[in-house]
Amino acid sequence: MTTTTPYAPATTSTDRPLRARKHRRPWWKTAVVLFIGLIINLPLLSAVLTSFKSDADISRSPLTVGLHFTLDHYRNVLAGTTYDFPKYFMNSVLISLGAVVIILVLAVPGTYAIVRLGFGEKHLLRAVSSLRLMPAIFFAIPFFLLYNSLGLYDTVGSLMLVNAFLNLPLAILVLAGALRELPIEIEEAAFVDGAGTYRTLFSIVLPLLAPALVAVSVLVFLFSWSDYLFAVILSSSNATPVTVGAGNFITSTGILWGDISAATVLSVLPPLCFALFAQRYLVSGLSVGAVKG
Amino acid sequence: MIRHNAKAARWVLTAPLFVFLALAVAYPIYYGIKTSLQQRSLLDPVPSWAGVDNFTAVLKDTGFWHAVSFTLKFTVVATVFEIVLGFLLALLMNKHFPGRKKLLSFLIMPVMIAPALMGVMFRLLLNSDIGIVPALLDKVGISISLFSNDTVVPLLMVLDVLQWTPFAFLLFYSGLQTVPQELYEAASVDGAGYFRTIRSVIIPLMLPILFITGFLRAIDAFRTFDVIYILTGGGPGDQTTTVSIYIYKAFATGNFGTASAAAVLAAILMLPLVPVVVRRLAAPETKATR
Repeated sequence: MTTTTPYAPATTSTDRPLRARKHRRPWWKTAVVLFIGLIINLPLLSAVLTSFKSDADISRSPLTVGLHFTLDHYRNVLAGTTYDFPKYFMNSVLISLGAVVIILVLAVPGTYAIVRLGFGEKHLLRAVSSLRLMPAIFFAIPFFLLYNSLGLYDTVGSLMLVNAFLNLPLAILVLAGALRELPIEIEEAAFVDGAGTYRTLFSIVLPLLAPALVAVSVLVFLFSWSDYLFAVILSSSNATPVTVGAGNFITSTGILWGDISAATVLSVLPPLCFALFAQRYLVSGLSVGAVKG
Repeated sequence: MIRHNAKAARWVLTAPLFVFLALAVAYPIYYGIKTSLQQRSLLDPVPSWAGVDNFTAVLKDTGFWHAVSFTLKFTVVATVFEIVLGFLLALLMNKHFPGRKKLLSFLIMPVMIAPALMGVMFRLLLNSDIGIVPALLDKVGISISLFSNDTVVPLLMVLDVLQWTPFAFLLFYSGLQTVPQELYEAASVDGAGYFRTIRSVIIPLMLPILFITGFLRAIDAFRTFDVIYILTGGGPGDQTTTVSIYIYKAFATGNFGTASAAAVLAAILMLPLVPVVVRRLAAPETKATR
C-alpha cells in the first residue's frame, strides 16, 4: 500500500549527509502514519478477517489469521434463508437514494431562490443551521406518533422522507455556499440574452453547480445509510435498513460472529466506495454539516 | 438585479421546500411540545392534558441528571482528545512523504462507516472470547473485563476518539492545505523553528477551523446514541446512559409524554449555543475549508 512512491529515497548521495537525512525521514513517517491507520481501522480489519475465517478458526484464537479461508459466511448472509440481509440491504439502498432525490428536488430550486432572488437569505440560513442543534431524538417521537396514525410506520417511503428531512439543513448550507461563489454576472448575462429565471437556473446555474450537487449527493447518501436512531424507531421489519439489521443478528440467532462480520463488511462497503471515490467533495460538505449522532 | 419575473419565480421555486419544512419540521416541533404537556403512553393512548407534570417528573428523576452529567463528561473528554490528536495527525500528514495520498484515504475511512455498524464491529473486536483486543491484552498479561463498572466509561471515550479523530483530522488537514507556503518560509527566515512556527503562525491561523470542528464534534458527541446503545444499552445500570438513550428508553417503554418532555429539556439545554451556530456556521466568511 505504501510502497508506490513517485520518488526514490535519496539515501545514495553519501557526499551530502544533511540532504540524505532529510530524505530518509519521510519513510519513517510513512510507517508511523500506516501504524496509526491500522489502529484506527482495527474494527473494520478485524471484521474483514473474521468474515473469511471458518467458525472453528474464529473460536480457536482471535489472533491467528484464518487457516481455512472460506466464503461460507458471505454465502449464508447473501443466499441463506436464515437472514433477511438482502432485504435490509435493498432497503438501505432505496432509502438512501430516495433521500438524495427528494433533497435535490427540494433544495436546489429552494436554495437558488433563497440566495439569488432575495428570499430572506440571512434568516433562513440561520434558522436552518440552528436545526443542527436539536437532538435528533426530539423529532423521532413525534414522527413515530404521526406515522403510526397515518399508517406510514415501517415503510421505506417514510424513511426516505425522514432522512431527507434530517439532511436538508446540510444540503441547503452546502448549496448556498456553492451558489454564493458563482459569479452573478453569468446569470445577468443570461438574463440580458432573454433567458427567464427558470431557464437560467436549469441551463446556466445547474451545470455550474455540478460539484456541489455531487457533494450533497455523496453526503446525503452517506448519512442516510448511517442513520440508526430513526430506523430503530420507525421500522420493525418491512423497512429495516442494514444498520438496524446488522444489530439484529446479534440477538436473534445466537452469536454467529462469522456471519455477522460478513453482513457488517457488506453493509459498510457501498458508502465507503462511494465516499472514497468522491473524497474531495467530502471535506467541503463535512465542514458545514458534519455527522449526525 | 432582480428580474421582473423573479417575484413569482421565487415563490414557485421555494414552495415545495416550505411545504416540506412545514410538514417535517414545524409540525413535529409543535407536536413534540404538545405531547410533552400531555399524559400519553402506550397503555394510555388517549392523550389528556398534563400541564408541566412530565417536566417535573423528569427534573426530579436522578436518572435524567445522571444522563446529563455523563453526556457532558463524555462530550468534553472525547472532543478534547479528538481535536488534539486530529491536529497532531494533520501536522504529521502536512509534509510530503511516500504514500501520503493513499494513507489519507486509509485514515479517514472510519468517518464513512455508519456508527451503528461501527458499534457491531467494536463488539466483535472487544468480545472477551473471540475479540482481538482482549486476546492481545491477555498476551501481555493484562486480564481485565472491558465492560466492567470501572472501565466502561473510559472505554467508550476511547472508542469515540477512535472513530472521530479522523473527522477532526480531515478538517484540519484540508485547512492546513490552504496555508500558503510563503508563511512557513517567512517564519523560517525570521529564525522560527518548527514548533515555534506551529505555535505562533499555524495555530492562530487555524483557530477558526479548530473552533468549528470542536463545536461540531461536541454537539454530535452530546447527541451520541448508536455506538453506546449497541455496546452497552446504557448500562451497566444506567452508568453509560446518554441523554439520547435516556429519552429513547422512556419512549421505548411507552412513556411518550415523559420522553417528549425530556427531549424538550434536552433541546433547551442546547439553546445557549444557538447564537454560536448562527454566527459560525451560517456566516459565509467562515467557510474556511472550501
